[in-house]
Formats: sequence, C-alpha cells, structure tokens
Amino acid sequence: MSLSTEPEGSVYDLGYRSYEGVRLGRAHAILSLYWVSFRGIFGLGRHTSSKILPFGLAILALVPAVLQLVGVAAAETVDFELISPDDYYEFVQWPLALFVAAVAPELVGRDQRNHTLPLYFSRPLLRDDYVFAKMAALSTALLVMALVPQAVIFTGNAMAVSDPTDYLRDNWRDVFPIVASGAMLSLFWSGIALAIGSQTDRWPLASGGIVAYFAVSWILASLLVNSTDSELFRYSLLISGFHVVRAFTLWTFDVTPTPVRPGEDNSLTGDLALADVSLYVYALAAAVTVAIALFIVHLRYRRMAL
Amino acid sequence: MAFLETRALTRRYSSVTALDSLDLELSPGIIGLVGANGAGKSTLIKILLGLLKPTSGSAQLLDFDVTRQEIDLRQYVGYMPEHDCLPTDVSATEFVTHMARVSGLPPSAARGRTADTLRHVGLFEERYREMGGYSMGMKQRVKLAQALVHDPRVLLLDEPTNGLDPEARDDMLDLVRRIGREFGIAIIMASHLLTEIERVCNYLVVIDAGRLVRSGPVASFTERTQVLVVEVEGDSSALAQRLREDGLTLKQEDGRILVGLEGESTYDLIRDAIADLGLALLSLEQARHSLEDLFRTPKADADDVALN
Repeated sequence: MSLSTEPEGSVYDLGYRSYEGVRLGRAHAILSLYWVSFRGIFGLGRHTSSKILPFGLAILALVPAVLQLVGVAAAETVDFELISPDDYYEFVQWPLALFVAAVAPELVGRDQRNHTLPLYFSRPLLRDDYVFAKMAALSTALLVMALVPQAVIFTGNAMAVSDPTDYLRDNWRDVFPIVASGAMLSLFWSGIALAIGSQTDRWPLASGGIVAYFAVSWILASLLVNSTDSELFRYSLLISGFHVVRAFTLWTFDVTPTPVRPGEDNSLTGDLALADVSLYVYALAAAVTVAIALFIVHLRYRRMAL
Repeated sequence: MAFLETRALTRRYSSVTALDSLDLELSPGIIGLVGANGAGKSTLIKILLGLLKPTSGSAQLLDFDVTRQEIDLRQYVGYMPEHDCLPTDVSATEFVTHMARVSGLPPSAARGRTADTLRHVGLFEERYREMGGYSMGMKQRVKLAQALVHDPRVLLLDEPTNGLDPEARDDMLDLVRRIGREFGIAIIMASHLLTEIERVCNYLVVIDAGRLVRSGPVASFTERTQVLVVEVEGDSSALAQRLREDGLTLKQEDGRILVGLEGESTYDLIRDAIADLGLALLSLEQARHSLEDLFRTPKADADDVALN
C-alpha cells in the first residue's frame, strides 16, 4: 500500500495502453460463454445461495448410488438387489428433471432480465452461437449429473462381487449404453427445457412450465396408453419426457420390455410394453424433439428486439 | 475509404420510418449524434453494431460492411447501451473479464486489461463487490469499461450520461473526452443534450425523423454571424433610433440591439452614437450561432439569422 495522500487514481494511473495482442474471435467467444454458463449452472462464481438448489438436486440424484456403494462396502455378503445401470435414470428421473427445471430458466433468463444480450450480440458472437453455447452448457451439466452416479454404481457393483476384475470383464460393454443413454437424456431434456425456459425472463414461470411438461406429459401419455386399445394412442408415449428416456435407455441396453395386460403394471416399462412401439422410434422421436426445440429457441432469439 | 459511410440507409418498423435514406461519410473523431428522442440515433447505432438489420441501404464502419462482415467488425467495436445492462449478482471485475474474453481476448490479457480499464474509468475497491449494490454513476462506469476493455477502434455510446446526477455527468463527459483525445479511440456518441455534445465532441451529426439535418465540425455550428450584439446601460431605444437614422439594419431584443454588420464602419457608427448619447457600453460582440438553434427550427437554414 502506498502511503501517499494523493487520490488513488493519480498514484496508479500509468496512462492508457492499447492492446496489440491476438483477438481470438468467434470460437473463443463461444467457448468463453459456454464455460461461464456451465459454471453458472452449478452456481460456481456466484452466491452460496445459487449453489444450494443445483447441488442439492445433484446429491439427491447421487444418493441411491452412494447408499448402494456404502451398503456393498459394509455388508459381508450382498443379499439385496442391486440397482442396475439401465434402471438408474428411471430411479432418479425426478431429481434430474427438477434439476433442468431449476437451472435452465436462470441460464437463459438472467441475460434477458438484466438486458445483457445487446452486449453479447455486439461482440463477435452470433445469436445462434449464443443458443449453441447455452445448449452445450446445459447438456454437459446434465450429463455430469447423469454419469457421476452411474460411475458410483458401476464401482459399487464391481465391489459387490468377490473379484472386481471379473465384474469389469463381464460388464465393460455396459459403458457404451450408459454413456449413450446419458447423452441422449441430456440433449433431449436440455432442448425441451431451453425451449420452455427461453420464452420468459421470469424463472418461476419457466421452472413451473418445465415441471408441468414432465408431469403432464407423463400422466397423460400413461393414461392414454392404458385406457384405450386405439392404434393411434400407442404412440402417445412419444410425447412423454420420462417414457421416451426409459425407452431409449432400454434400447441402448438392448432390453425388450415384457408385455403385460392393461392395469397390471403402471411403471414406465409396463406402459412401453403395452404400447409395443419399436424402441428405436423413441430415440428418433427424441432427436426430432431436440431439433424442434432448438428451432423454437432459435426463433425466440432471432425475433428478439434488442 | 471513410471511417463511417452509409448509403441510403433505411430502417422501417411496421408503422414508423426510423431511418430514412440516410447518407453519411465521416472521418474518425469524437462524433456527436444529435437529435430529439425518436430521431433515429439509437437505430443508427444498433444497425452499425449488427443488432438491427437495415430495411435497405448499406453501411460500413472501419471498412467493414456492417451486415456482411459483422463478426470481423465487432472485434473492434465497443458498445455502451442507453439502458441498464449489468447482472446484479457478479462483481465488476468478473463481469468485465468475461466480456473481454467474449470479445476475443485470451484469459490473461482479459484479466490484465480489466484491471487497467476499471482503473481508467475510476472504479477501485468497489470492483470486487457485486454490482447490484452499485450507484448509478458506478454502473455507468462499468458499462463504459466493458465497452473499452478490448481496446476497440471505435466506441459507440448511446446517451452515456443517462440517469446521472450533475456531478457524475461531468465525470462521465470528462472520461469520454479523455478516451477520445488521449486514448486515440474514435467515438460516436448519441445524445439529445447539446451542451454535452458541445463539451465533448469535435464533429456533429444532426438527425431528425431519420433524416440528416446537417453535419460538420462542431466549430462550424457555433461560428460567428454577421450580426453585432450591442448592450448598453440606459436608454437603448434612443440608441436604436439613432442607429436607424445612421442607416443600419437592426432589431431590438430583450434590451439588446442586434445590428447587421456591414463592415468596419459599423463599429465606428455604433461607437459614435453611444458616445454622443452619453450611454455606457456594456458589451459589443459578434453573435454566434447557437447549437440550440438547431432544435428550435431543425430544418431552417443555419445561416438564416433572425434579423428580418
């Protein structure tokens, strides 16, 4: 510290220096926005209060996996049923859905609410680049939320058997479907959450909308499939965020849902068996949904007056 | 190539024409963009930044076409919007560093220049605090800093003193003038306040209803007219009477006498008349065009002096 009594400005004022270094342009702009957005999703670099919700839900999504790991480590012999990787996303679908509902509106809403967008769009960044960076940030955050518990489960299951290397040798083929279904889930739900979340700068409205989508589409699709034999309604599960994820997860693990009679099994798998639509159709539906959702977000930003 | 060139630049909204076939050709400087609210100042700035697409016509800034080379151009442009644009839950340092990186600066350069720039705009210990608690003056400084941090070649300022109290307004204007004169960065500054433009800018563009009214160096707007303003203590009517008899054209206004200047002899006639009438001369000077005249009669010929 200087002991000078002069105002600080004149003590440290070295005059203006121009910048002669590199200007990294558009790709760097996208990457910078991506990284700040990704950190912002988990509240990193923000208030402690911004961290509570994302980390709380992350812990909720992790609890079943950790309990199993602890149980396996503590037990002499494993005499309880282990959660298998292909069931885990269904197990934690609500924590994951609430996570996107909690973070997506702030991810895109705060820039609208604070009127920061003109500052971005007067820099080397196109409007679609902005959408791309936000989509990438949300999907990778969700992917982390999906894959970390899976890694814990995988470790737990390996420890449950007498020889973990045997487990690894028998189950390494699960790694691909785990990652593939996790990536599909992340892109699918992120697209939907952004399409809803970008429509308003008021997060309670946007979060409510996203939760409502998951709940209503799930209940409605299930009701339609179970209540009628109509050929058309077999496809109603394609609108449900939960059913579609369950379906393409089973598809990547190459598991066929066992057929049941109506009313006997109200689980997602039961509904899927009842609908009896080829599972790859759900994966296609997810891809189409993401494309439509991103187009909606694109239109939202293209039409926005700044 | 000009620094800024627009050709028949037009922007229409559904019912309003914000810019109406605007032709401009300007050299770098501290350019004041003057006009009443709704004259098209913000529209022009937003088109130059690529935030708005023109309905027709073209514009070039720094030799870049603003619609076809927007990405290249925007690496060298800084923009300070009229309205509030800062997040409340991050510090000035974090925000400006982020904006520097989005402008294309590598991380270390972004951090270094953020510290420098915040110091230049006069933000010290406060820069680590969340911006939600900032005063209007501090927010305006951060807005300026984020526009300046990547060392742009041109700074576009939209009403930079908006919402500031007189003291903060003076500081901001001094800062802008310093950036233009000492930092060597071209400035385009929109304002509806002529006094501000007069203090800061060296070139003036007047627009009204989306059309160019007049442009030129600020000095040319305030140049002397061929009118003498005479103020005396005492009976100015008697003086007016005498000068009329001497054959001068004149007009009385608020106790002052405006006399048409016809040459050196006009001064002599006035001097003699005052001496003969025993009046005390308070002032005798050539009248200047006032920038305010532009607003009183925006479309009037600026050389048309009110002597008729």
